[in-house]
Amino acid sequence: MLYAGFMSFSTVIHEVWFLGLVLQVLLAVVLMVRGMWKKFPIFTTYTLFSLLETAVLYAVFRNQVLYTYFYVIGESVLYILGLALVYEIFIHLFAAQPALRKMAGMVFRVVVFLLVLLAGAVLYLKAPLIAPHGSGGISALLIVEESARLLQVGLIMFLFLFSSAFGLHWRQHVFGITLGLGIATVVELVAVTVALHAGPTLVKVLNLAHVASFDFSIMIWLGYLALPERVTNRADVPHRAQLEQWNQAVTELISR
Amino acid sequence: MMITVLVIALAVCAVTLFYLAVRSRIKQSGQSIRPVNLKAFRTLMDRGDEYFLKERLPRSKFTKLKRQRIRVTARYVGRIAGNASAVLHMGEAARLSPAPEVAQTAVQVMELATHIRLQCLLAMTKLAVEYALPSLQLTPAMLVPKYQVLRENVSRLGNLQRGNVTPLAAGI
Repeated sequence: MLYAGFMSFSTVIHEVWFLGLVLQVLLAVVLMVRGMWKKFPIFTTYTLFSLLETAVLYAVFRNQVLYTYFYVIGESVLYILGLALVYEIFIHLFAAQPALRKMAGMVFRVVVFLLVLLAGAVLYLKAPLIAPHGSGGISALLIVEESARLLQVGLIMFLFLFSSAFGLHWRQHVFGITLGLGIATVVELVAVTVALHAGPTLVKVLNLAHVASFDFSIMIWLGYLALPERVTNRADVPHRAQLEQWNQAVTELISR
Repeated sequence: MMITVLVIALAVCAVTLFYLAVRSRIKQSGQSIRPVNLKAFRTLMDRGDEYFLKERLPRSKFTKLKRQRIRVTARYVGRIAGNASAVLHMGEAARLSPAPEVAQTAVQVMELATHIRLQCLLAMTKLAVEYALPSLQLTPAMLVPKYQVLRENVSRLGNLQRGNVTPLAAGI
């Protein structure tokens, strides 16, 4: 919602934004009622702060100075909470994998280091873009946000890649939280990256996509957290006779 | 502008990854242990066969055949990796068993399954290199002994639990 200052909100954006506020209230209720705040304290803090930020921004969006001020503070806090949330997901993902935890921790630190370097490089290489822009402050903020989101997206990608390489099973709630965070962060990354080169019309579209994607992420969180966790169906383990039939078929296929 | 394109490409990769993760999770929910024919697997890895084919066949035909063998071997490795993943998932519950022996065996099984997943990654990398350069000879030969130890340990866990894990040991 950074571009509120230099663009007029259409009714659609306003309504989508309001929908997000309602959804966040609903999510907060679900987290409290289902006692999820004990299991995911950082996610709960993230959600509650995001709700607070949205409510405050919604209340002051007509005042450009106040809006920018609250936006910068709110997004900075949310960003730090977002990074902490990635770490909370990491802890949950590897809680049941004692053999992998140490190696994953090591790789995680290396990935953080490389991503910080990458984010720094983006910041450095894009710094010259600040000067020619009319609103230098806004473009500087966009570049900083781009670097920051790059780090966050990279970490979420690492979690998915690492778990996929080792065939780890994602628990429903942890998966939902990661997926929602991932989608919201990726859209935000694209929005801030493109906004720097975009005209006012495209900025409006990006703004709508950004707000809509966050609403979509909240829906994902609601869906995954409200539903009870599925229990593994052990009945899926096939009988030996069936296994032997499959085995024979594959063997025939190989030896033909 | 170049950086912007790279960042957008990364974002597209991330979205693809999310999609694959959702698909993989849906598949994982119905994941079961699938049998692996270790004898056939060993035959595929037999270098003696490969030398024989190399001497008898023209180079182009040998290359084509070797690539076929690699594709099949990769499927075996993939199946072993899938089974190790299923064992990891099933071991999560057994690890929390009130019986210390069951919990301990589950931890051992999970450690071994993790090790096999790592071996599978290495094996897949080696197979990919051999597929690209068929004249090279890199075989995931170290995979078989570890997989056999996993079978024995899963079988032991099944005996300890006397529950649903028994068909699992028989399956792999």
